[in-house]
Amino acid sequence: MKQPNHSGTCKCLSSFVAVSLLCALFSLAARAQDSTKAPTVLAINYFLPATHVPYLEVSTKTKVGRKFEPVKGVRVMVYCNEQSASHLLGTVTTGETGIARLGIPPSFRDTWDSSGQFKFIAAGDSATGNGDLNSDITIKKAILVVDTVTQDGVRTVTGTLKEREGDTWKPVPNIDIRLSVKRMDANLSVGDKDTYTSDSTGLSTAQFKRDSIPGDSRGNIILVAEVDDNDTYGNLFAEKTVNWGRAFTPPSNFFAQRTLWSTRFKTPIWLLAIAYTVVIGVWGTIFYILFQLVRIKRMRTS
Amino acid sequence: MESLKNLSEERIISDLLPQKFGIRGKLWIALLLAICAVGAYAYIQQLRKGLAVTNMGDYVSWGIYISNFVFFVAVSLVGSLITAIFRLANVPWRTPLTRIAEVIAVSNITFAALIIIVDMGRPERLYYIFTHGRIQSPILWDVIVISTYFCMSLLLLYITLLPDIRIMITATSKQKNRLARFYRWLGGYWIGTPQQEKIRDRSITILCILIIPVAFCIHTVTSWLFATTYRPGWDSTNFGAYFVSGAFLVGAGAVAVAMYVFRREYKLDAYITDAHFDKVGKLIVLLALLYLYFNVNEYLVPAFKMRKDEQAHLSGLFSGEYAPLFWFTIMIGMIIPIMVLVFRKGRRPRSLFIVGIMVVVGAWFKRYLIVTPTLLHPFLPKYDAPARFSHYFPSWQEWAITMGSMAGALLIITVLIRIFPIISIYKTLEDKNKIVESHETAESFGNVQMS
Repeated sequence: MKQPNHSGTCKCLSSFVAVSLLCALFSLAARAQDSTKAPTVLAINYFLPATHVPYLEVSTKTKVGRKFEPVKGVRVMVYCNEQSASHLLGTVTTGETGIARLGIPPSFRDTWDSSGQFKFIAAGDSATGNGDLNSDITIKKAILVVDTVTQDGVRTVTGTLKEREGDTWKPVPNIDIRLSVKRMDANLSVGDKDTYTSDSTGLSTAQFKRDSIPGDSRGNIILVAEVDDNDTYGNLFAEKTVNWGRAFTPPSNFFAQRTLWSTRFKTPIWLLAIAYTVVIGVWGTIFYILFQLVRIKRMRTS
Repeated sequence: MESLKNLSEERIISDLLPQKFGIRGKLWIALLLAICAVGAYAYIQQLRKGLAVTNMGDYVSWGIYISNFVFFVAVSLVGSLITAIFRLANVPWRTPLTRIAEVIAVSNITFAALIIIVDMGRPERLYYIFTHGRIQSPILWDVIVISTYFCMSLLLLYITLLPDIRIMITATSKQKNRLARFYRWLGGYWIGTPQQEKIRDRSITILCILIIPVAFCIHTVTSWLFATTYRPGWDSTNFGAYFVSGAFLVGAGAVAVAMYVFRREYKLDAYITDAHFDKVGKLIVLLALLYLYFNVNEYLVPAFKMRKDEQAHLSGLFSGEYAPLFWFTIMIGMIIPIMVLVFRKGRRPRSLFIVGIMVVVGAWFKRYLIVTPTLLHPFLPKYDAPARFSHYFPSWQEWAITMGSMAGALLIITVLIRIFPIISIYKTLEDKNKIVESHETAESFGNVQMS
């Protein structure tokens, strides 16, 4: 009698095991690479929003694999000019996104008004084991203004940056200012370029080319001037509402139509017809089969 | 089939009647229950803390649960392939496979429905689908078609079981235990009169005709959940056929594994013969070639164009983060099965069993690759998203629930084969009588010629 030959099976099994092991090794290598954790990095930034209430933002992150991940729950102390108790602006703890914000407290108003340049120091709390974390930023106090000019029917948006020098505000040339219109998710540049450089008078100018842009129900749009992450001035913002947009009136019958995106009460008739025909056809047959089972059951007694 | 000729009716009935579990069977049940218990514990945690216990996020909002759902739906299609298509095509060797396919279909479609509820987070939301569902949404089509397929699979299993239940009632007539009472409650009305037979036969034919389009619908609609969403890798008109062909392959693989296990455990060599394995092996080759063809279409054409917005997704699959898993699934899910099963030796029971496992494992990871890498590469740029949203690896709760659902599906199969014959006794006796009759006819013709 011929003996069964299992060599093919064994080869097949060993190939399967080899491929599985290879795959597992690849996965482990990839995960090991991803799990390499670097020390935490602390950073501090200065912001002057359109409300003109300045604040400081500290962020903590670490490099995991090839990407940065936020580090939450780090307690950071923020100082103004000197790292001493009398210069402590406040203490913050970073959140889920690794970011914490701190407004300049009213008690520092005199210090804030007395000078045009400040050094902000962020230091990790040594009590929580973050004493080695340190970062600082030196900023010059500046103000950003957005304005509009209309001449011969041409609409122009201007952004002016001025820095504090003594008791006066002096224009700052050669700074890239972003001039844009505020939209839902991000801002849209008013012209063709992303940023516009300020001239010797501190003025950056862009022609407004978004004439048909939808605004609110009255046609109002918000113009925004921004200086982003500047080494000397930090992050500055200014806003101005103008009536340059197209008044937006939502279509009154948008959800009243029978469409694929309407509510369930406005389903297209053709879809309802197909769906009901199929469902009634199939379930009608299922009930017919159930009825046949009842007939079979009755036959026992008859 | 010829092996049935020499078996007596009593032997066939005693061989095929459900048997009590031995120590191995009890250990198997205990293992499945333990896995289910861990899954249930993880699910309770998810109910208490919400979907936050998973590692799904804004981008990978369909994780391992949906991969598992697609897998279960795919495996369940085997009920329509083996039972309905083989019956309508009058395939003579189908008898030992039919019940296995029906049981696999019922167990898998049950857990396909349950895993969707798990993915919803809050289970009461299922009720809202019926009260607030929009017929325009493919999600509602999926809910309708899954419930329909579940009912039809259950009905098909029940109607084909009726004559076997009568045999089991006779076999347990002297017993007064729960199982005997259950058989009498379930099918005590079946006597097997010609009228009953006629109605039953016609009902099975109607169900078989109807279940094929419903089975095609169930997986086509599941594919549309993806294809109607504009995403890299999903934006395809080919998805329905691609999913259905893959489903038939994994279903046939699952049947091959089950055939081997049942034959070995219940000593059914006379009923599930090497010839059956040979034929199922050939069927798997055909289905694997078909699925490979659709895979070539799905990946080669977009790779040839390599559109910028799909580049990251495709590169990730072919040579990037997901490349080992991608090539692993292509190899063990299609290429190796074809290479092994194309030879007669490869279609022997043990080889087919191993290949069946490879097909099933490959199919599960294939579903994972259809879902996750696409979600990690949206067309719109990621804006202000935490870095962890760029990766996805399931949490232990997700793994536990997934493994628990798989154990649950296996548990249903195990319980059903404990209660009902895994091969139709009635149909096997019918097959045996046909063989005996054909032999007698052949002999009588032989005698006429001799005289």
